Amino acid sequence: MQIVFFALRNFNRARTRTWITVGAMAFACAIMIFYASLLEGWLAGMEKNAVGMDLGEFQIHGRGYRADPDLYKIITEEGGVLAQLDRQGFVAAPRLHASGLAAAGNASSGIELRGVDLVREGLVTALNQHVWQGQWLAENDQAGVVVGRKLARILGLAVGDEVVVVAQAADGSTANELFRVRGILKSVSEGVDRSGFLMTAATFRRLMIVPQGVQQIVVKRQVPSENLDQATSRLSRLLPNYEVRNWRQLQPVLARLFEMSDISLVIMLLITYAAVGILTLNALLMSVFERIPEFGVMKALGFSPWGLFAMIVVESMLQVTVAVVLAVAVGLPLSFYFSHHPIDFSGFVQSSSTIAGIAFDPKWYCVVTVNSVVLPILFLYLVAGLAILYPALKAAMLKPLAAIYHR
Amino acid sequence: MNNTPLVQLENVSRIYQQGKLQVAAVTDFSLEVQCGEFSVLCGPSGSGKTTILNLIGALDEPSQGRVLLEGRDLAQLGRSDLARLRRDRIGFVFQSYNLNPVLTACENAEFVLALQNIPHAQRRQRVMAVLAEVGMAELAERRPDELSGGQQQRVAIARAIVSRPAIVLADEPTANVDSATAAAILELMERLNHEQGVTFLFSTHDQRVMDRAHRLIHLRDGRLERDEVRG
Repeated sequence: MQIVFFALRNFNRARTRTWITVGAMAFACAIMIFYASLLEGWLAGMEKNAVGMDLGEFQIHGRGYRADPDLYKIITEEGGVLAQLDRQGFVAAPRLHASGLAAAGNASSGIELRGVDLVREGLVTALNQHVWQGQWLAENDQAGVVVGRKLARILGLAVGDEVVVVAQAADGSTANELFRVRGILKSVSEGVDRSGFLMTAATFRRLMIVPQGVQQIVVKRQVPSENLDQATSRLSRLLPNYEVRNWRQLQPVLARLFEMSDISLVIMLLITYAAVGILTLNALLMSVFERIPEFGVMKALGFSPWGLFAMIVVESMLQVTVAVVLAVAVGLPLSFYFSHHPIDFSGFVQSSSTIAGIAFDPKWYCVVTVNSVVLPILFLYLVAGLAILYPALKAAMLKPLAAIYHR
Repeated sequence: MNNTPLVQLENVSRIYQQGKLQVAAVTDFSLEVQCGEFSVLCGPSGSGKTTILNLIGALDEPSQGRVLLEGRDLAQLGRSDLARLRRDRIGFVFQSYNLNPVLTACENAEFVLALQNIPHAQRRQRVMAVLAEVGMAELAERRPDELSGGQQQRVAIARAIVSRPAIVLADEPTANVDSATAAAILELMERLNHEQGVTFLFSTHDQRVMDRAHRLIHLRDGRLERDEVRG
C-alpha cells in the first residue's frame, strides 16, 4: 500500500512531462480503439456481404456437385431435407443453379442462372434488400429477373430492359426465353456481380425443365453464437448423404483474410505503440535519472531494492491507467459515433470493389467489440511495462551512497 | 547484560578508485561505540568522517576490515537485509536534509514507519509526538519547499528518531543552518540522548557540536588521531 501511496504522490510531480506522456499514450490508445473498431466493422461488413448476401453460413449440395457443378447432381428430397433442418433449429433456403448465355442488343455474356425461393431466401440472406435499382423478384412477375451490377453494365441493361436467355435445359432441349430486368443488385460478390441472373424458382423450373430437386440448400444458424465447426458437424451428421460445407470452407481465402486481420491489428498496435514506447521510455528514464539522489536517500532509509522497483512500475502503470481512462473516454464515444455515422469512401472506391471476390461496402462503420477495446489497452500496458523495466531495474540496483551523491 | 558494543569497526580501510588513482579515505581504522553515546567524529575536510558514517550506516562497504552493528558483520548481509537493517536499526540525518519534496513534513517523518508497515493511526500518533518534540507539530502539513533550512533539518531529525533506531548517524547536521538553529538542533539531540537514550554519532568540524559531545574521535588523513572521552 505504501508503494501505491508514494507512486500516487510522485504522479503529479513533473506535471508537464507526466501529462505529455499520459496524453501521448491516451492518444495512441484512443486511435487504436477507433482503428480496431473500424477494422471490426470492415470485417463485419465483408462477412455480412459474403455470408449474409450470397454464401450463407452453410451450403448443402449433392455429392460431387461442388467439384463438378452439374444440373443433374441435385438434392432430390429437398422437402424432407428442409423439414429436417427446420426441426434441428436451422433456417434454410433451396436454390437452383444452371449456366447459360444472356444477350441484350449486340452484347452477350455468360450467366449463372439462379432460381430463388422467395419466401425462404429472405430468411437466410439479405439479398432481397440489396437491390441497387428497381425491385426484388416477385412471384406474380414470372418474366422479371434481377441481375448483377457488372452484368448489367456489360449488357447495357437498365431496369425495364429486355434480355434474352439461352441455356441447355435438363431434358437436353434449348431453353430460350425473353425476360425483363426487374432489378439490379448492389455489389455482392465478384461472381454474382459479373454473372448473377436471378429469377423465381418457379420460373427457373419452367425454363430449365427441372420439375423437382435443387442444386443447393443455403443454411443459417438460428443461434448465431453456436460454434461454426460444431454446427457443421451437426449438419454433416444430420445429412450424411450430402456435402455440407461452412462458409469458411467455401471461401478459405476470405476465412484466412479474417484470421490475418487479427495479426494486422497486432502489427498496427506494435507499430503505433513502438513510438509511444520510446516516448514513454524517454520520459520514464528522465523521471528516474533526475531522482537518483532521492532514490539513494530512500534506500538509505530502508526502502528495499524491489520496493523501489515496484514503486517505479506502479508509478508507470498509474500513468498508463490514467491514459487508458482518457483513451476509453475519447475512443469509445468516437467509435460509437461512427458505428451510426459511417465514413463514406464512395468517392474514392469503385462501387463494386471486391476483396477475395467479396464486395465491400464503401461506407465503413465501426463495430465496437470487447476485442477492439481490450486489445489496444492490453498492448499499451504491455509496451509501457516493457519500457519501464530498464529504468526500474536500474533504480533497484543503485547503490545508496553512489545514488545520494549522483550528480 | 549484553556487553556487545553497538558499533565495531575492526581495522577498516576504505580505498576509492579515481581513474587510475587510488585514494585512501580511511586507513586501518578501529572504533567501538556503546549504546547511549553522544559522540563526534571530528577533523578537517577529507579526514574520513563521512566515509566512516557511511560505513557504519551500511551505505558503503570497506575495502578491508569489518564493520559490525550490534554484533552483526555487515559484509555478511545481502541487499535486502541491509535495507531492513537501515530501516529498523539506523537513523540518518544528512547534511542537506534530503527530505522527499512531494511529501509533507509529517509524511517525511513517518516514511520509515510506513516502510515498517506500522498501522496508519499508530504511525500518525508517534510522528506527531516526535514532531512536537522537535517543535514542528504546527508545520506538519507543509512540504519541504515551504520550510526553512532549520525546519527541514528538524523534520529530518524527527524522521531519524521516530522509528527508535539503535543509532542516529548525523553527517554535519549544523552545516547548512544558522547558529541559532544549530544551537536549537543540538539542544534537541542532546535532550533526546539524555531523556530517551538515543545513541548519536556525528561527523562535524563545527566547534559548537564538539563542545557538547561526550566523546570526540579526532581524525586526520583517514586515521584515528585521538579518541577523547569527556566527563
